[in-house]
Amino acid sequence: MRPPPPPGDPIPALTVTPTPTQLFAFSAATHNAHRIHYDRPWAVDVEGHPDLVIHGPLQAAILTRAVLDWAGPTGRLHRLTFQHRGSAYAGDTLHCTGTVTAARPTAVDLALAITNSRDEVLLPATATVVFPTW
Amino acid sequence: MIGTVLNRTRGTVTARDFQRWAAAVNDLNPLYFDPDHARANGHPDVLAPPLYVQYAPLGVPTLDQLRPDGTPDRPALPLDGYPRRMAGGQDAVFHHPVHDGTAITATTTLTAITPKTGRSGPFLLVTTHTTYTTDDDTLVAEITDTLIALP
Repeated sequence: MRPPPPPGDPIPALTVTPTPTQLFAFSAATHNAHRIHYDRPWAVDVEGHPDLVIHGPLQAAILTRAVLDWAGPTGRLHRLTFQHRGSAYAGDTLHCTGTVTAARPTAVDLALAITNSRDEVLLPATATVVFPTW
Repeated sequence: MIGTVLNRTRGTVTARDFQRWAAAVNDLNPLYFDPDHARANGHPDVLAPPLYVQYAPLGVPTLDQLRPDGTPDRPALPLDGYPRRMAGGQDAVFHHPVHDGTAITATTTLTAITPKTGRSGPFLLVTTHTTYTTDDDTLVAEITDTLIALP
């Protein structure tokens, strides 16, 4: 047993810089053939992006990793809500951060975000993690 | 149209598939990879990453069902004139962990199509609600997806 963390407590930050190889692996693992994720000339010349586009669901998955790495093996993600507010591209660095906003006897609410290196919020999110055997 | 079931698909969660997904995320949580670690934490076997569950029941589009940009056409959605699609976000609730070998049925219902006007012109906000259930009808997850459709 450990005490619930107090509101305001940060979770450890996670910083990830997805490569074109990672984007391709995620496209393959999700059977996603959208060319903006692996075909740079298509992404740039046809769809007008500056580079290969980092999948929104990959961003959400990376943020979830930060949450569950913090929660440990007894924590279980109960709810995750997120909005895609900005795009991110191959080579961009994603900074995942979060703080505790409320702690109940067996659950913790978190406010989360992915920001890029220009401090733009790409993906604001909230999560609830339950600890059945806290 | 609102309230219509757009899609019902079934697929089996397998350790190899969710481990490939977790490897692509670079999320090497031992709960997903190490059966002994999973059992020591009360699970019958390795468990799927929560966000993976939505991929297991996905259908199999054939190459001729993909548009030139590689995305599948979705004839069930009445979005004529708005061919470009972007993910807007999700609200996902996870009720139960899912383990290797569990079959999942995804049922997607259209909940809203809202016309909007942004800085770069008109777009549609399309929301769907998907339930993920096991063969004994246990609801393991439910996800509200928001899709942005652009002209």
